[in-house]
Amino acid sequence: MNSGQYDFAVIGAGVVGCAIARELSRYDCQTILIESRSDLGDGASKGNSAVLSTGADTPFGSLECRLVARGHARYFAEAPSLGLPILAIGSLTVAWNSDQLAMLTSMHADAVAAGFGDGEIVGPDFIYAKTPRLARGAVAAIWDPHEAIVDPFSTPLAYALDAVENDVEFRHSSPVTGAFRNSGIWHLETPAGNIRTGTVINCGGLWADKVDSLGGFSDFSSRPRRGQFIVYDKSARSLLDVVIKPVPTPSYRGVLVTPTVFGNVLVGPTAEDIDDPDDWRTTHEGLAALREAALRILPELGAHEVTATYCGVRPGTDRAEYRIIPRPDASWVSVAGIRSTGLSGALGIAEHVVALASGFGSHLARKSREPRPIRVPSLCSLDPRPWERTATPARADLEIVCHCEGTTLGQIESAFASPIPPRSLKALKRRTRATFGRCQGFYCGARVRMLLDEALAGRTA
Amino acid sequence: MTNPDAIVIGSGPAGLAAAISLRQGGASSVLILDRDDSAGGLPRFCAHPGFGWEYTRRLEGGPRFVARLLAQLETDAVRIATSTTAIAVHPGPEVEIVGPRFGHTRIAAPVVVLATGARERPRSARLVPGRRPEFGVLNTGQLQQMVARRIPTGVKRAVVVGSEHVAFSVLATARKAGISIAAILEDGARIRSYPPAEWLARLLGTRILLKTRIEEILGRERVEGVVVRCPTGALTVPCEMVVFTGEFVPDSVLARDSGLMIDPATAGPIVDQYGRTSVPGVFAAGNLLRAIESSGWSAIEGARIGLAAARHLRSAGRWRPSGATLTNGRGVSYVVPQIWADDEIGSFLPISLRASLDHNRAQIRIVRNDEVEWRGRMQSMRIGRRLPISSDTIDALARRGGEIRIDIA
Ligand SMILES: Cc1cc2nc3c(=O)[nH]c(=O)nc-3n(C[C@H](O)[C@H](O)[C@H](O)COP(=O)(O)OP(=O)(O)OC[C@H]3O[C@@H](n4cnc5c(N)ncnc54)[C@H](O)[C@@H]3O)c2cc1C
Ligand SMILES: Cc1cc2nc3c(=O)[nH]c(=O)nc-3n(C[C@H](O)[C@H](O)[C@H](O)COP(=O)(O)OP(=O)(O)OC[C@H]3O[C@@H](n4cnc5c(N)ncnc54)[C@H](O)[C@@H]3O)c2cc1C
Repeated sequence: MNSGQYDFAVIGAGVVGCAIARELSRYDCQTILIESRSDLGDGASKGNSAVLSTGADTPFGSLECRLVARGHARYFAEAPSLGLPILAIGSLTVAWNSDQLAMLTSMHADAVAAGFGDGEIVGPDFIYAKTPRLARGAVAAIWDPHEAIVDPFSTPLAYALDAVENDVEFRHSSPVTGAFRNSGIWHLETPAGNIRTGTVINCGGLWADKVDSLGGFSDFSSRPRRGQFIVYDKSARSLLDVVIKPVPTPSYRGVLVTPTVFGNVLVGPTAEDIDDPDDWRTTHEGLAALREAALRILPELGAHEVTATYCGVRPGTDRAEYRIIPRPDASWVSVAGIRSTGLSGALGIAEHVVALASGFGSHLARKSREPRPIRVPSLCSLDPRPWERTATPARADLEIVCHCEGTTLGQIESAFASPIPPRSLKALKRRTRATFGRCQGFYCGARVRMLLDEALAGRTA
Repeated sequence: MTNPDAIVIGSGPAGLAAAISLRQGGASSVLILDRDDSAGGLPRFCAHPGFGWEYTRRLEGGPRFVARLLAQLETDAVRIATSTTAIAVHPGPEVEIVGPRFGHTRIAAPVVVLATGARERPRSARLVPGRRPEFGVLNTGQLQQMVARRIPTGVKRAVVVGSEHVAFSVLATARKAGISIAAILEDGARIRSYPPAEWLARLLGTRILLKTRIEEILGRERVEGVVVRCPTGALTVPCEMVVFTGEFVPDSVLARDSGLMIDPATAGPIVDQYGRTSVPGVFAAGNLLRAIESSGWSAIEGARIGLAAARHLRSAGRWRPSGATLTNGRGVSYVVPQIWADDEIGSFLPISLRASLDHNRAQIRIVRNDEVEWRGRMQSMRIGRRLPISSDTIDALARRGGEIRIDIA
């Protein structure tokens, strides 16, 4: 199938790298997606708020703003056919006092001037009709009907599965540790040997500066920014059906309170500059601040149990903007600094990056045939459960293993049978939600572990 | 399938004892559902002795105790469907189930008994910060299942968080699995279990750190240790596993989703002295009612509720007529039952109530319509301990109706 040399090597299977690999799969070229970890989507892409932004909350006129707006439009157009759920519940950016109201008004005027005319300023009547359990005292809000919540785990998975189905090679557990260029060909060093490619697309996220330095580039350095979250039990989902945002400051968008597509309520993120991109820790201060915010914004959350706490780290750089740097002479594109909008922007970024890279050398032609379709199973709590999907469900679709999330044996088995199967518990959780729920494995943790051990043993045997 | 007289949801001690009594009381067919892959509830994973006392007057290992109950149900009149989940109880009552045996369907029965038990609160609900390693952070329930199912843990040292009885259950399980306990952490000034538990721990050479709370979990893929804060400062304890014990909560999702009235004090369904919930035909028993009593106590509740349910089957009388309400006042965490109905359909549930404060020379009071009607003295009362009030005492007062509050003066 492949002469051992690729036209494109995408380094990093976060949501951005996966989207770019999928984009390249539409063209007549050989592409490889290389990931250092055993699963895709295990970096910045696994710990975010899962809100699909319209771009209206990004700096107007910036590349980020343009690509997020494009990514949002493409997501609505393409995600449903991949099986990805979109809950277009809209958002309210709420002002609680007159200072915030003044900011809100000017934000709105700027947005309209920049062509984001769909958001409108609404008063307390609208706000409390939309979300009656919100704390009293909201003065006004911007209502944006186009903001949506999505599945952050299945999104990069669907992009990667689509890419693989359309002839991209995915190589996991392969950190790129060195790079050199010889007669126009890049040699990427990995523990399993060198990978040769014409063009490199660096989507290393938090580690993009390190990957760039392997190629001899040093235009930016990483500035990781941690964000912690609290996930409330599904019992709280009925309290809220809209994304609640605060009025942002120039450096911090503030704490959101939002439902998730899985049926929980999410509160976060914090914003903490950290030195080590691997410092994925929640802290007392962070969780206490989130709890305080949760009760201040949606007081009834206090009566509900916490299901999970987690954090993510934003792959920022020394500048606020996206750092998408084409290097035609070197046949290398750096795709970095996709800090806090990568889930929304990925499809826009992918289109943009492939257009840049196609200008590097030989002409990149679109494949003449239609791409082969793939679908991921929806994990959205509002979609039918496996046993509800047909009149005669298979046995394994009737056997629930994880009771809190309603994950069936069938879902677990089909995850293992996928072209990109889970190789760890966390990867299995992201694909099926098993042990992700309120009991965190008290009931099914042992059995899920057993199923995982068996599947992994079967694969190596 | 012909509809049974009664459906019991949950095959732990409460559910099994309820099924036995339903049969004794004349129910001609009982269907027991359990979502797990085999019957018996939590005790089946817990081999150390200490189960069943109130019900059998024996102290046996968990699996033996539930095997004893299951043996009494070996008749064609009782069917046990495992791997079968009740996902809702609809009015009727009618139980919506999912499982390989019956598929996704609804089964109606004049009586439904909910006995879905309780579980421990996980690390996340306790907001314990730090990393989230993939291995090694779990509750006692999962650890015991892993050991009972012979799933290797690959762990040598564990830290135990909490000192309720169940923390000492970990000692036995850990010994069996070859895990040494680096420390038991308790943020209070004394252990929550009884003193003999402490002697046992000392005998096994286990450190108990009092006034100590867990600050942070260390380790990326696997647990590498915990940072704890004790009176003398912060301390790192190396270990590969952290077991979060106790802090039980009723598993009342099914009850909630089925529209049963829930008591905020227990987080379980509100019941009367015969286990009748707010929904006609639906009874509830065991640790679903509140967390947590022993397996023997849960079985006693199941047994009494089973008899009342059988009586309801025969007479189909009015569902939960009016009566007195029972609430918890100062110093009391909760009271079960929450309602004392004014009819007679069987023997009463034992009163389950627990202290929410430490108190020396406490005086327990029963207050009816704001008048003190009864006083009892205790030498000392410890947080989490059961308060001795008999159902006959309550019955004598509650038959007169009104609002009854139990508190500590
Ligand atoms: C707290 C928080 C909240 C957020 N909320 C939102 C939101 O609501 N909406 C939204 O749109 N966005 C949100 N984001 C932003 C979004 O998550 C990121 O923009 C996005 O995940 C970045 O993806 P990425 O692919 O660039 O990086 P990553 O996901 O980090 O991917 C980089 C990948 O490269 C791999 N890699 C690195 N070095 C090498 C190497 N040498 N060899 C091989 N592989 C390598 C890594 O292992 C990793 O898998 C949020 C982010 C955070 C942290
Ligand atoms: C680690 C540990 C140690 C313990 N040690 C002791 C001890 O030494 N002595 C003692 O007396 N007690 C002990 N206990 C407590 C004892 O296990 C409980 O008191 C007892 O199991 C309660 O019985 P139950 O029937 O209420 O609930 P459970 O035993 O929890 O049974 C509930 C059953 O309901 C099933 N179920 C739940 N929801 C559904 C649904 N929707 N559909 C179908 N089935 C469902 C569950 O699968 C489960 O089998 C211990 C508990 C733990 C966790």
